Amino acid sequence: MQNKFTRNVFFIPYALWIALFVIAPLLLILYYSFFDIEGNFSLINYRKFFTPVYLKMTLSSFWYAFLITLISLLVAYPTAYLLTKTKHKQLWLLLIIVPSWINLLLKAYAFIGIFGTYGVANSFLEVIGIGTQQILFTDFSFIFVSVYIFIPFMILPIFNALDELNPALVYAAKDLGASGWVTFHRVIFPLTIDGVKSGCQVVFIPALSLFMLTRLIAGNRVITLGTAIEQHFLVTQDWGMGSTIAVFLVIIMFLIMLVTGKRKRGV
Amino acid sequence: MRENLSPGSKLLLVVIFFILYAPIFYLIFYSFNSGGNMINFESFTLDWYRELFHDTRLLIIVLNTLVIALLSALISTIIGVIGALVIRDFRSRQAKNTILSLNNVLIVSPDVIIGASFLILFTMAGIKLGFYSVLLSHIAFSIPIVVLMVLPKLQEMSPTLIDAARDLGASRFDVVTKVILPYITPGIFAGFFMALTYSLDDFAVTFFVTGNGFSTLSVEIYSLARQGISLNINALSALLFVFTLVLVIVYYFITQRNKPSGMGVKR
Amino acid sequence: MTDKTIIRFEHVTKQYDQDSPVLDNVSFEIERGKFYTLLGPSGCGKTTILRLIAGFTEASKGDIFFNGDKINNVPANKRQVNTVFQDYALFPHLNVFENVAFGLRIKKMKNAEVKAKVQEALSFVNLAGYENREIREMSGGQRQRVAIARAIVNEPEVILLDEPLSALDLKLRTEMQYELRELQRRLGITFIFVTHDQEEALAMSDEIFVLNQGKIQQSGTPIDIYDEPINRFVADFIGESNIVDGKMIADYEVEFGGKRFDCVDQGFNPNEPVEIVIRPEDLEITSVERGKLRVRVDSQLFRGVHYEISSYDEDGNEWLVHSTKKATVGEEIGLYFDPEAIHVMRLGETEEEFDKRLESYHDGVSYAK
Repeated sequence: MQNKFTRNVFFIPYALWIALFVIAPLLLILYYSFFDIEGNFSLINYRKFFTPVYLKMTLSSFWYAFLITLISLLVAYPTAYLLTKTKHKQLWLLLIIVPSWINLLLKAYAFIGIFGTYGVANSFLEVIGIGTQQILFTDFSFIFVSVYIFIPFMILPIFNALDELNPALVYAAKDLGASGWVTFHRVIFPLTIDGVKSGCQVVFIPALSLFMLTRLIAGNRVITLGTAIEQHFLVTQDWGMGSTIAVFLVIIMFLIMLVTGKRKRGV
Repeated sequence: MRENLSPGSKLLLVVIFFILYAPIFYLIFYSFNSGGNMINFESFTLDWYRELFHDTRLLIIVLNTLVIALLSALISTIIGVIGALVIRDFRSRQAKNTILSLNNVLIVSPDVIIGASFLILFTMAGIKLGFYSVLLSHIAFSIPIVVLMVLPKLQEMSPTLIDAARDLGASRFDVVTKVILPYITPGIFAGFFMALTYSLDDFAVTFFVTGNGFSTLSVEIYSLARQGISLNINALSALLFVFTLVLVIVYYFITQRNKPSGMGVKR
Repeated sequence: MTDKTIIRFEHVTKQYDQDSPVLDNVSFEIERGKFYTLLGPSGCGKTTILRLIAGFTEASKGDIFFNGDKINNVPANKRQVNTVFQDYALFPHLNVFENVAFGLRIKKMKNAEVKAKVQEALSFVNLAGYENREIREMSGGQRQRVAIARAIVNEPEVILLDEPLSALDLKLRTEMQYELRELQRRLGITFIFVTHDQEEALAMSDEIFVLNQGKIQQSGTPIDIYDEPINRFVADFIGESNIVDGKMIADYEVEFGGKRFDCVDQGFNPNEPVEIVIRPEDLEITSVERGKLRVRVDSQLFRGVHYEISSYDEDGNEWLVHSTKKATVGEEIGLYFDPEAIHVMRLGETEEEFDKRLESYHDGVSYAK
């Protein structure tokens, strides 16, 4: 009896945290989504969300997030695969992760310098004869920098999945006459799909909600759901509309987690 | 599989590592440029560092950032560890899974949503935006990370260790202080460290809840970067990079030292 | 109950949720200073008994007594028993000395005393000089000894051992069997040892409890249990057995394999169906003419000490023979055995009825119902 009591006392801070900082904020967002900018209860925000302006923005946000995820995956998978083949692979992996611990803003700031009109990138283009281009504030720079930032997060789960893969399975496939490519797409890839899924999850959801990069690197050319939320909350002060977009973002987030959710298979 | 990587594979890895690190070294390199921009390197100077150390406003912001990071990491570690201990004691699988799902909400939620919802929360609760709102937010988003770092350690601990301690006369309190806590110390360190880096790195959440009078480094860099290039930031990023490296090395050694903890029947 | 009794179970049942009970209405007594073994297949409830004595789990029904006091609600840390765990459960963050000292430190014993006691306990298990080693630097056998030292240093009245030898290799296991038995004699305290290995149980115990499906099937000395198994399960579990169906014609006369044989069992109803056990080592290979049974050799394995020969009689019963003589596969041979080698088991007999019947042999009184 006394044990149960002390245990409950100890649970209070954590339970409070769940109530105040996990459940309450989600409910508050839902609550605020039903108020217009004057503070009257209405469904206008939801009606607005289904107008072409917002739907187009949602679609383009999805499109950019999709591109960023896809390119990250295409770069990360081979990299992770090669990393598992190196000696001291844990050390190399650590070196891949270190840049992700450098403040995000600093990395974005570096690219402002690199992609700037007189930056390194343009000097390079000048040298190889293409000539100076507008790089900063384009779709290209936005996607490039986003991929740059997300790459370590994509590599990590794929690396772990590949690392856990029993090498005997690869030998078995080869032994049974499978070529390199067949081995990859019939054995290695299916067995590491969980790593790919969680990689996509940790890239896609943040990519939908980036707002700092859209301002610094894309020069407001790209508007993601995140940018829109930030805009409504901090610039136009229309918390209702911001909350409505947030509600949809949360729904999308749960849907993505359902799709990429891990289903443990055998072994 | 192959013992050595083919030259093409090596090249790919080299390119990846180059792209990952180039922007960081690019920033650091120009922090020694007397030219005042990131285009032409004129001559070596430490002026930017000197200026940095004379910028009281910036130094106060650095101090704020560190205080927030240390305090939030400390408090979230305490709450998180207690939370993990209680979660471990949950008998019902369903209750455990529910708690864990709630725990993970803040980890998968995009920063924008956390920031926006906390902004609503603090406004409704009448908490003035500033030091306390930032501290509370950082504690809130660090707790689930600590739980996730500590819980696996707790779960890998053989339940017979607790039985053994009880058998040898240990009270429930003794079991926690003499057996469980020493056992999960590496997990606690890892959790504290992750909380620290999350706090130091955070931009989006802080940006929403920081108000006018208070600023952290990330927010400050953002506003500086929006105004364009200033080599102060380069100098700052060089220092931060060194700081991060030190943290990484310390972390690496802590985890290495704790790794070969032979236990039970594992031979 | 006598004062020799240290632990007593009275109608103890342990049940989780709605599952069938892990332990089903079990009663027994444990005497001071003996080496007991709880033997049975996995899931038979043997470890549950140990956990009930240690206090890691509570009985659903029934009472447990220790030195005459009911201990159902005494927490594990207040019981005068110590456990050696299957995975040793040594604390990885403490070295050998501190592992052994753990219980003494909890009791807030003085440093000098702790030191003396730990050293004594370690030298008891031949680990003197290993005080400052880390657990991960110790081999499996050494960890085993640390675990034992950690238990005995607290001077408990009973030591519980939960399959402590199962993680060791064969040679080390045999060595530790001798050592444990020797240790128990020197300490003179009660050991309750759990195992699923029948050879281990036979070699070490004063008393064996054979368990199956949450019930004690039979208890007794190793010789009793080996020679007089109460039912098919015990006969099968302890050693290898030939078990065939038969019929008790009259006292001292039994029929199986289509023939009648003399035997030493009595006290059955006329023509009562029974089961017959003959141990493979009690069967002797001889010529077809001289044999009591006529069998055809089916296969043969060389086991080192003996040949293990599998053969079948005309009724299709398998007869396993352990013999130093070689047989030829496919050949017909005769099997000879003494009347004493036949052990007759009554179907569905409880341990009490069985004991009563055995006693009646000694009294020489016929006990027909």
